[in-house]
Amino acid sequence: MTTLLQQIANGIVLGAVIGLVALGYTMVYGIIQLINFAHGEVFMVGAYGGLATYTWILPHSMRGHWQITLPASMLGGVVVAVVVAVIMERFAYRPLRNAPRLAPLITALGVSVFLQEAVRLFYPDAKSARPFPAMFVGGGLRLPVPGGQVILPWIRVALVVIAILLAVALQMYVNRSRMGRAMRATAQDRDTARLMGIDPDRVIVLTFVLGAALAGVGGVLYGAYQNTINVDMGFQNGIFAFTAAVLGGIGSLRGAVIGAFAIGLIKTLGGQYLPGGTQYDYVWIFVVLILVLVFRPEGLFGEAEKVRA
Amino acid sequence: MTAVLEARNVTMAFGGLVALSDVSLQLAEGQIVGLIGPNGAGKTTFFNCLTGLYTPSKGQLLLRGKRLPGDPARVTAAGVARTFQNIRLFPSMTALENVLVGRHVRMRQGPLSSLFHGPAFGRGEAAARERAQQLLNFVGLGKVGDVLARNLPYGDQRRLEIARALATDPSVLLLDEPTAGMNPQETEAARHLIFAIRDTGIAVVVIEHDTKFIFTLCDDVSVLVQGELLVRGTPDEVRADPRVIEAYLGKPPEEIEAEVHKGETR
Amino acid sequence: MTRLTSYLRPGMALPLRVAGSVLVLVGALLPWATFVLNDGPYPAKSTLQFFDAPFEVGGFRLHMALLGLAALVVTFAPVPGRGRILRGLGWGAVLVSAVNVLFIAYNGGGLGAVTVADMPAFGGLVALLGGLAVLAGAYAGGIEQPVHLPTGLNRFVAWAVLLVSFAGLLMMVAWTLTAGGQGGVANPYAGAQFLSFLGFAGGLLAALHGAGVLPWISRLSEDHRPFSIVVLLGCALALPFTGAGTDYWMTVAANIGVYAATAIGLNVVVGLAGMLDIGYVAFLGIGAFVAANLSGAVAAKVDITLPFPVAAVIAAVVAGMFGSVVGSPTLRVRGDYLAIVTLAFGEIFVRSAQNNIGGLTGGPNAIPGVPQVSMFGTGFSEPITLGGTKLPSGVLYYFLTVLLVALVMGMFANLKNSRIGRAWIAIREDEDVAKAMGISTGRIKILAFTVGATTAGLSGAVFAHKLGTVSYESFKFLESVTLISAVILGGMGSIPGAVLGASLLFVLPEKLREFSDYRLLLFGLALVLIMRFRPQGLVPDRHRRAELAGEDIEGRPLEETVSEQAHLPTAAPVLPGEARA
Repeated sequence: MTTLLQQIANGIVLGAVIGLVALGYTMVYGIIQLINFAHGEVFMVGAYGGLATYTWILPHSMRGHWQITLPASMLGGVVVAVVVAVIMERFAYRPLRNAPRLAPLITALGVSVFLQEAVRLFYPDAKSARPFPAMFVGGGLRLPVPGGQVILPWIRVALVVIAILLAVALQMYVNRSRMGRAMRATAQDRDTARLMGIDPDRVIVLTFVLGAALAGVGGVLYGAYQNTINVDMGFQNGIFAFTAAVLGGIGSLRGAVIGAFAIGLIKTLGGQYLPGGTQYDYVWIFVVLILVLVFRPEGLFGEAEKVRA
Repeated sequence: MTAVLEARNVTMAFGGLVALSDVSLQLAEGQIVGLIGPNGAGKTTFFNCLTGLYTPSKGQLLLRGKRLPGDPARVTAAGVARTFQNIRLFPSMTALENVLVGRHVRMRQGPLSSLFHGPAFGRGEAAARERAQQLLNFVGLGKVGDVLARNLPYGDQRRLEIARALATDPSVLLLDEPTAGMNPQETEAARHLIFAIRDTGIAVVVIEHDTKFIFTLCDDVSVLVQGELLVRGTPDEVRADPRVIEAYLGKPPEEIEAEVHKGETR
Repeated sequence: MTRLTSYLRPGMALPLRVAGSVLVLVGALLPWATFVLNDGPYPAKSTLQFFDAPFEVGGFRLHMALLGLAALVVTFAPVPGRGRILRGLGWGAVLVSAVNVLFIAYNGGGLGAVTVADMPAFGGLVALLGGLAVLAGAYAGGIEQPVHLPTGLNRFVAWAVLLVSFAGLLMMVAWTLTAGGQGGVANPYAGAQFLSFLGFAGGLLAALHGAGVLPWISRLSEDHRPFSIVVLLGCALALPFTGAGTDYWMTVAANIGVYAATAIGLNVVVGLAGMLDIGYVAFLGIGAFVAANLSGAVAAKVDITLPFPVAAVIAAVVAGMFGSVVGSPTLRVRGDYLAIVTLAFGEIFVRSAQNNIGGLTGGPNAIPGVPQVSMFGTGFSEPITLGGTKLPSGVLYYFLTVLLVALVMGMFANLKNSRIGRAWIAIREDEDVAKAMGISTGRIKILAFTVGATTAGLSGAVFAHKLGTVSYESFKFLESVTLISAVILGGMGSIPGAVLGASLLFVLPEKLREFSDYRLLLFGLALVLIMRFRPQGLVPDRHRRAELAGEDIEGRPLEETVSEQAHLPTAAPVLPGEARA
């Protein structure tokens, strides 16, 4: 029983990280109908940005205090992630806005590969995994449950709390602010939005920025949670996040979050209880993806694509 | 008159939005039927229902008395072809190749035959090419078969779309605004082309905004306004109907003022 | 480029061109390096000594001299497309001098190495300047419209032209392979030598293209297709008889052949049907593992040994079946999702292979010891003797891959020019309209996957025997990216393009070992740049070429072909099959 609950807890934690990345996927797809294949790499870059901030920018004396290291690393990660995303949008995607579908897809693939290799080659010692500072030293939440205890180290608690806070904040922003309204309008009908005086370019950049910021935070938190990062982390988690976004209904923020938690749980519980163990846990995720795409491509909360003639 | 194509009480609702409401239409052999109405009236939506792109919420669609399949590819195989409001050719294929794609559904060569290019394949290809060239000649594009579709002038592109639709050997042809953007000579030529098509035995339904064009072309005209069939009849009947005039031109200013007045004094 | 060239006046053209050509020639004769470099084939240190030393075909000085001479001649000769030719030659000179100058400066410790450290050695900079001048002169005089050479030639004249051209192509390929020798090992200058040769070859080809020669040859080869195919096949088979006929190059060429065949298969899925499959290498892997298991290798799980042709067919069929399976769920899915799903399948394959699923893949131990193909009593890895000439070992594998590539190319061409091929292209361009034309898009899309996968499976069988060991390491995501890059770089939907792309992407890492670490980085960058600046790839297929050149598909400029004025059809022709009642 304890194992089950522990795995559920783990699944929720994983889901929180995946959710932060999935939100970026779903927002960008909602606005420009492109799966930003490189978004997983933005997540990875954010983690390395956080690491760099901790290693080189933060004075050594402050290192022990999570109240400083955590926000500082997150900030560093966000900055790096956002810069990368903005450059990516401006130089790789924007020129191809009106090109046939295949072109931005291939470009996204190229950007993803390029980013991964660039970090691997140019960040010091990134060819193998790098240790990432644990922000909190020891301790955690101890929840008594039937059969024993479930232990949630503080970093995991922080992860879930921050993720939920950010998701709620995003939702409020998109639903209530002026820019948020502009984003939703552009997502539904770009040309009409332009006629209403909304500059689609600015809205799109903002979308990328928001997605990257969330991914950057996610990367730093994930690094702290795992205590290690490597250049591959974007690739796999990217696929999980994408699956989550599809499961929840691409274009729907709520869907992305719910889908993410679902995926997190599937991965941890599947790895624990389904045949093949952790070696094949990712397989179950892919199976979910394929099933969703075959039977309900619009996901849980999305709308079926209408055909226009 | 036996109806080749018939729509009975078709209703199409997208969630809360009712695009078509209880629309009925008959098309007889050798008829040219017009479908007019202001923008957003649901004309293209109606075509989309006919061709299986949308599934109507209510009503029936029949081809020679049998239900039309709900899948666009099978609708075409059954003999209903269409053109599109905003021209949708295959831009990087030549004119001839575009028409050849239209022949696909009437050709037989499968993957193995295509792989090995045996004699049966050669014969089938040659027949298809010949037919495609004939169709290009028919619409007046005989000399530009090798030009990429995207490089053709606008009027030619419209004609090419028609040739491509004809290549599927339809018994019914649905034309969606075939003369949009055309100058008077091109429009006149289009009129003659549609007559020629009808003379080969194909029944035609035409959506248009150019009412003069419709009235000199069609045997029967239906007027669609806000998803509902307002009037249906011969061109003369429709032209004279005051409801049609109102739908297109709006109410005369005096009447509108009177209505406003009424509202104010209430 | 246009902003820079607007500073040039037509009057400057002639002086620039002449001065540039002369400078290039002069630069070829001056010393290039001021310090003492190690002895070796490259670079020649002093100047006049060059004329004493034996001419070396790969030498950069010879290249520079040729380019300069050509530029000088063309400046005065009444050839059409002069500006375009000079532009190509100019770029060639710039590239060759730039590569060598950079190399010398980098190894020699800075710019002093190419200017005046021990002794004056301005050769490189002079030549570079000359090249730039030629370029400027080319633009100043105006870049003409594309040149159209006459195409209605007598058959035998055309054949002669084609023979010469393809023989030239063969020599070019042989020189490219051998330039700089075998990458890295014995010759530290290999990379620079190779790049320098590429610059020269590129400049020459650009010049020929500018003169209209390349498109002309291309058109001739299309008009005389059967002859061209025979000659090309002959040239490919003749490669082992040229300077590239060594064990090493036969191995590399055979590998290129396998990947080229696989890329052509991918071209069906991506280039024709427009579906992005980024897990494609899994099919190569499936074919390879099936063949390995049926080969009688000790590590194979299955105890059956089948002759190679049979095993190859089985491998192809099994891979094809997997292709159908992968294709099915993707039917309801649009382009973006499709890419991810195929990636997922690719990953599932690699991980399963890594974990030795079903005991079939050997896991981390792989399946070693796959025996060589053996037919007619000869093992394919052995050297053979043909009519007195001793051919290197592995030459039979090379011939096998040539056959494989030819087969796959033929298959691709046949499919493309058929109802199925047109349906694929229609789906790529506008799937909804394709459906409206009566095409059962679902089945046709699965067919594309099946065909692509079968091709990869067949190639995989050859791959397994050639390599001798089949391991999951060969089928990772990196390889899928490389294959996609090959197809995109070469030109989507273009047969020679896929072969060229695969060749480039497998030859370059061999030759430029210094850069091997950066391989993926450059691929990623290349994908982005190509999509941005030249999405049609290096060898656009006929349609793309027509699109770009403002011609129709037969090469006639667009103004010549005009449709009839919209007019009344003279009579309603009876369309056959029109007896509808």
